[in-house]
Amino acid sequence: MAAKKQEAEPYLPLTPAMFHVLLALADGEKHGYAILKEVARRTDGRVRLSAGTLYGIIHRLNGEGMILESSKRPEIGLDDERRRYYRLTDFGRKVAIAEARRMEEIVAMARAKKLFRKPELA
Amino acid sequence: MKMRNRSLSERIFRMVLRALPFDFRADYGPEMEQVFRDQHSEAKEQGGIVGLIRLWWAAFLGIFRTAPRQHWDMLKQDCAYAMRMMRRNPIFTAVCVLTLALGIGANTAIFSVVHSVLLNPLPYREGGQLLHIRQQEQKTGVENMGFSVHEIEDYRQMNSTLAGVVEYHGMRFTLFGHGDPERVRTGVVSWNYFDLFGVKPILGRTFLPDDDELGAPAVLVLSYEYWRTSFNGDPHIVGKTFTMNDKVHTVVGVLPAVPQYPNENDVYMPTSACPFRSSKEMIEGRDHRMMEVFARLKPDASLQASRADLSMVANRLRAEYPKFYTDSMGYSTVAAPLREELTRNARPTLLVLFAAAGFVLLIACANVANLTLSRMARRERELTVRAALGAGRSRMLRQLLTESLLIAFLGGGLGLLLAYQSLPLLAEFAARLTPRAREIHVDVTVLLFTLGVAVGTSILFGSIFAFSSREDMAAGLKEGVVAATGGKRKNRLRSALLVSQVAFSFMLLIGAGLMLRSLLKLQETDAGFVPQRVLTMRVNLNWSKYTTNPQVVSVSRRLLEKVQSYPGVLSAALSSGFPLDPVRIGQSPVQGDYVIEGRPPRPGEANPRTSVRIATPDYFKTLGIRLLEGRTFNDADNEDAPQVGVINQTMARHQWPQEDPVGKRISFDNRDHWVTIIGIVADVHEFGLDRAPVDEAFGPMAQNPALSSLLVRTSGDPMSMARQISQAVHDVDPETAITSVVSLEQARRDSMTPPRVTTNLLALFAGLALLIAVAGIGGIMAFSVSQRVHEIGIRMTLGAAPGSILRMILGQSMRLVLFGAGLGLAGALAMTGLLRTMLFEVTPTDPFTYAGVTLVFIGAALLASYIPARRAAGIDPMVALRFE
Repeated sequence: MAAKKQEAEPYLPLTPAMFHVLLALADGEKHGYAILKEVARRTDGRVRLSAGTLYGIIHRLNGEGMILESSKRPEIGLDDERRRYYRLTDFGRKVAIAEARRMEEIVAMARAKKLFRKPELA
Repeated sequence: MKMRNRSLSERIFRMVLRALPFDFRADYGPEMEQVFRDQHSEAKEQGGIVGLIRLWWAAFLGIFRTAPRQHWDMLKQDCAYAMRMMRRNPIFTAVCVLTLALGIGANTAIFSVVHSVLLNPLPYREGGQLLHIRQQEQKTGVENMGFSVHEIEDYRQMNSTLAGVVEYHGMRFTLFGHGDPERVRTGVVSWNYFDLFGVKPILGRTFLPDDDELGAPAVLVLSYEYWRTSFNGDPHIVGKTFTMNDKVHTVVGVLPAVPQYPNENDVYMPTSACPFRSSKEMIEGRDHRMMEVFARLKPDASLQASRADLSMVANRLRAEYPKFYTDSMGYSTVAAPLREELTRNARPTLLVLFAAAGFVLLIACANVANLTLSRMARRERELTVRAALGAGRSRMLRQLLTESLLIAFLGGGLGLLLAYQSLPLLAEFAARLTPRAREIHVDVTVLLFTLGVAVGTSILFGSIFAFSSREDMAAGLKEGVVAATGGKRKNRLRSALLVSQVAFSFMLLIGAGLMLRSLLKLQETDAGFVPQRVLTMRVNLNWSKYTTNPQVVSVSRRLLEKVQSYPGVLSAALSSGFPLDPVRIGQSPVQGDYVIEGRPPRPGEANPRTSVRIATPDYFKTLGIRLLEGRTFNDADNEDAPQVGVINQTMARHQWPQEDPVGKRISFDNRDHWVTIIGIVADVHEFGLDRAPVDEAFGPMAQNPALSSLLVRTSGDPMSMARQISQAVHDVDPETAITSVVSLEQARRDSMTPPRVTTNLLALFAGLALLIAVAGIGGIMAFSVSQRVHEIGIRMTLGAAPGSILRMILGQSMRLVLFGAGLGLAGALAMTGLLRTMLFEVTPTDPFTYAGVTLVFIGAALLASYIPARRAAGIDPMVALRFE
């Protein structure tokens, strides 16, 4: 796939909301509302995406090949035909990892500068 | 989709979603609604009313933050695609852009004039409150009598609606003390003239009440232009002194760079410094009228109230001084907003040109729309494929509109450039019609206008897609490309566009034709004199040196002797003016009233009036004015001889319709002196070729010294002698200033400049319209033939001769052209009434013009359709039948 050869760097840094959406999809495909719930849950409700923001991000990530609409649907009884499921592509995963690394490096720098106090790190 | 009842909040959310682009909505709309529904029930359960408010706030914010980005992305995509399409069809793109550039350029140019001259407020403090006040004699047709000193004072004292009343008159004086004697244009004004207009000096001061007192030290205020060009913007100019009219004048201030009304002047002086304005006769004579009056409305007064107020003052004056305001005059006073007065002459011409430019744009739009339709037919396959790939109708419409918008913007940009280039020329033209022409420029409003026109244009010709694309998508898929292109509906649309192009250009051609015929008539008008090979110049004696009549007579005699001694001079004359003098053209004649011996005026009836010209004996010979009866002046008609006069044919006809005027006597000074009429000369168009000759009387210079113009008939090119003759004037008196040296031929030509420029512009617009329309006819017929190759092939196989095919195609085109021309004819009959005031001896329904234009138009249309018709007739049936 062409996306495999694509470099992740030009897409960095991601906006926090985009990163959260990628993270939400990292452990499996989800529909829109599930993504919102996952983001809110993992951030203790600090990040709450609206429908407009979420689908703006989905449109963009989709256009850039980081996510795809999944053809797999839940079992018939559980399926809601209005919902669409999204999954992370390999390229999307690559970008999410690159973004996580980028953040890690920044945190490492902050640590080297002794920006954190012990109790906070614990 | 299943219909179900939506709650109020769902309906509102759905409405808010409309802020997003259609495609985005189509992709994600239902899902977003679903997500919102889930969030809504959750918020209601967990957060109550606070939770709901928070949700709504976030929902709004999210959509309105996302929408601009989505729209922008889509626009970028559409633009990139449109550019690709334009590059792929460079000829189509170039033709469309150029056509629109002409249309938009013409409109932008004319609009910048209309905007600066007619729409912009005056560049003065609260310019809308400024009024121009005129006294008029309705019964004798004098629109502007001017004001006397007494009258100005009366109106100043008696009104209750004006915050200020100021006077103005223009003079030319000779200024000494700054190199060569220089003739300066001088505005003589009330002390508070500049305060009334709200003009503050950039150096020094303007006038003070004391400056206006009789005998006050003479002071001057310089105009910005004069200060900059003649004194290099000397910052120490205030306090410098110059001599004018034998008096020392001190410069007290410099005006800012504001347009000056009613005339551009070099310097301004208060009324006390003008020797004419401060003379005893002028101050005391209630009927010594020379001044213009301007006023400012009180903040709480309306124009209507002020008009009523002024007519009350007029009534009081009439009651108090019946001798000066007789019933037969029809004396009244009119106040008009200064802005209207300054643009009265320009308004009809500019509006006609604006309408003409609008027509050109409409024709250009129709043409581009038709071109686009033809190209759409060729793009049918591309559009069909895109539709099949899932592009929605509105998505494709948006794409196509983006293309038309880009073309319109390119056309608009080019049009703006064209307009900018043509502006100096237009400003020069407008200067003939209004003093506001100096304000003409391109500003933000003009740019916005161009932008608006470009957008409007693209919608106008782009909306053609909306008509044409609907039924073709499905048809294109089902039946293949060829079947979809020639739909009846689209053919009708093409025909309608063509007919409207023809109709509009026909109307424009009629308008231009009428103006052209009017101009030709004007050029053919016998001016009453022979303008060829006559040199004219204004000679301005330093009048303070020539205070008595014998002095003036003597200097004019010496001047003429000197000029006449040159070889190449056939005759020469001095006079108080000459016909079609560029300085006075279009103005009302200055008239004097007189009494006829033995014919006392009836009570309540005004004395007759006539324009008066003073001239030396050779005036008539020099100008080639024919003598009809009696004799003209000779050297014996001097100061000591009985006073004599010559009158023109019109005056003879008016006053002595049944008798011979020669030998009759008239008096200009209420019977103190009598002037015997010794001859009648032919009428001359003094104030414009389009204005009927007025009553005119001539007096010999030796008996009434007043000279301002030198006229010389030469054997060769008059302008080649200009330098020599100027030198002769300076030899006689070096203190004489010479201004406006021009040949009489040139003056005659200049007098026709406004109608000529209007005609040229209208003809240019009409020519453009004709060109665009004819190209449109040719293009449409060529397209129609290319669509009918197969059908023509069948006809020919069945025995149709090439001649009958030719006739068929020509007939098809001419039916449309004739229909359009018929509509244009009706439109022209309805619209050309607007031109009435601008036409000279031609009626707006002049049959000759209508016939001529019809012939030209049909000829051009025939020619344009002949080329595709001949191609149709030359089709090889065998090839045509294989054509698919």
